[in-house]
Amino acid sequence: MAQILIGKFLRMITILTGVTLITFLLMHVIPGNPWSGYSSSPRMLLGLGIDKSLQDTLNHRFGLDLPLWRQFTRYIIGDFNNDGDFFCGAVCGNLGPSIQMRGYSVQDVLFMPPAGMSIWESRFGYSIRLVMFGALIAVGCGIPLGVLIAKNPTSGLSRTSSVVLAALISIPNFVLGLLMIILLASHLKIIKVLPDWDSPGSWIVPAIVLAVMPMANIARMTLASITNIMNEDYVRTARAKGLSQTRVTISHVLRNALVPIITFLGPTIMEMLTGLLIVENLFSFPGFGRVYWESVLRLDYPMILGLTLVYSTTIMLVNILIEISCEILDPRIRSIKQQGIQ
Amino acid sequence: MIKFFPWKKALHTKTLWFSLLVMLALGVVAALAPKISPHDPYKLEITQSKFNLPPMWVQESSPPGMPEYPLGTDRYGRDILSRLIYGTRTAFFLALTAVPLAAIIGTLVGLITGYVGGKLDASMMLFTDTIQSLPGIMFMVIIVLIFRNMLTPTWSHGLLTLVVGFAAVGWVSLTRLVRISVMQVKSQLFVEAAISLGASPQRVIGYHLLPNVLHVILIWIVNNIPAVILLEAVLGYIGVGVTGAVDGGEFTVVSWGGLFFSGRSSLNHNPLMVVIPSVCILLISMSFIFLGDFLKSISQKE
Repeated sequence: MAQILIGKFLRMITILTGVTLITFLLMHVIPGNPWSGYSSSPRMLLGLGIDKSLQDTLNHRFGLDLPLWRQFTRYIIGDFNNDGDFFCGAVCGNLGPSIQMRGYSVQDVLFMPPAGMSIWESRFGYSIRLVMFGALIAVGCGIPLGVLIAKNPTSGLSRTSSVVLAALISIPNFVLGLLMIILLASHLKIIKVLPDWDSPGSWIVPAIVLAVMPMANIARMTLASITNIMNEDYVRTARAKGLSQTRVTISHVLRNALVPIITFLGPTIMEMLTGLLIVENLFSFPGFGRVYWESVLRLDYPMILGLTLVYSTTIMLVNILIEISCEILDPRIRSIKQQGIQ
Repeated sequence: MIKFFPWKKALHTKTLWFSLLVMLALGVVAALAPKISPHDPYKLEITQSKFNLPPMWVQESSPPGMPEYPLGTDRYGRDILSRLIYGTRTAFFLALTAVPLAAIIGTLVGLITGYVGGKLDASMMLFTDTIQSLPGIMFMVIIVLIFRNMLTPTWSHGLLTLVVGFAAVGWVSLTRLVRISVMQVKSQLFVEAAISLGASPQRVIGYHLLPNVLHVILIWIVNNIPAVILLEAVLGYIGVGVTGAVDGGEFTVVSWGGLFFSGRSSLNHNPLMVVIPSVCILLISMSFIFLGDFLKSISQKE
């Protein structure tokens, strides 16, 4: 077990380094620099712009005048700062100073809560809470819906609902979010356009918008995997020995159908994290998704790298959790893996 | 694997009829776009005071709709129906270039890594894992930002950035699917027989493995076409879209996503401008999902 964990950990480190390297190289290929937004001619005329000499000073301050490989090792391991003291890089959790948010480091922007509050009140905490809320809705509605459709697949209701599910997958989340805002906020006046994020009621609409497509996907997945298992021999045996249909569905079919569904949760949560980037923008949600866009469009190099690292780490941790829970649910998976077939 | 096509079943599947009808209709519209569009989608009509007209059946708001502009005009006075019709061309262009490009890369890499196995396979898996851990949309945005200045934005060149961006990320998921299917097929006896008869690796991959994983590729393509059409709209939403990418220049690409986001600014005045392109996206996406479902059901029957 310890060996497996160490192997997983090493793989994770390799992938994280790869992720940082790819992002680092790509973002430096994007034409322009962090200051190009501030050196347009109207700004220069008003004396607000950043001219060449100031750019050089700033580049030196943020270490952007170093060769690329030095910048990379500076980010990952650390370097001597301009006073000659050593500082530790991303390995110690220091994600560097943000260029656009003056005076804040990246980890402050992401993880520092407002004074006197828990970590759940930080940008990262807000985003994670929204995703968890959305995942709860997606799983809580998706699996029962799939089971209901699978139980009587020929009824009219099931047929309609499978068409509705396809429609729900097809609606892009920004369309759905916009329609929700028009309908609920402008016409029915149920929610506020600028919500108060302290009250749990205002979380419901963004969470639903985030959860609709994954919910429909999970329902379809449940439907497919249950229909497969319904034809297995052991289900017929269970039914033949006199168990009730409900009992068979819950304890025999659903338990075995759960493994593919949980495996499917990995991509689903990844999709939700991507959807977060759009939904947060739509509802002006104080999470990290909005910061991400701004940092990419303004070339805030340390911010892009830091956010990508946090994002990738989250995805990988979720995937590892899912892998472990699959192995607990179905011990056969582990033995197959040990034989090396996979 | 799809060995024969069940015509009878296909004829009785209503959802398949729906999807084929939608695709056929949109295909005809895209092919005949210059003939059937009532106006020039690029022509500005501000001077003629047909500024921001609602659809023709809307009567109560201040400038009532007129039959000359069936779906109204946008705020530059351009006919929405014509833009919608030309947007179909954009969607088809993306569907026919971006997805096949990603499919070709993904299939090749998947076939080779699945067939060779060993160290190449392990390192390739590490690489695909890395790409998949990156936030996909962000990766595409960065690639679009890089290529935006290199490829001068004319009608197709603006879209080419999107094609490159999608292909750079999209191939990974197909590679994983193809690799697993190839490994399953490879363990079967007929592949071993072919190898022991002295077939070269190219022949084994081309004649024995590829036909047996073709259904996986086909289903993947069908499932990813709506994704790439959506992607164009999403990038427009973020503000790096191919619509209006040129500084100070006029909008060059007419697309459903662009229509949606130009409609967002006149939401109170004319909400149908947002609804109509969304319905188009919804229809095409649903039709591809139904087609994918049908393909999946006939390939599982074996």
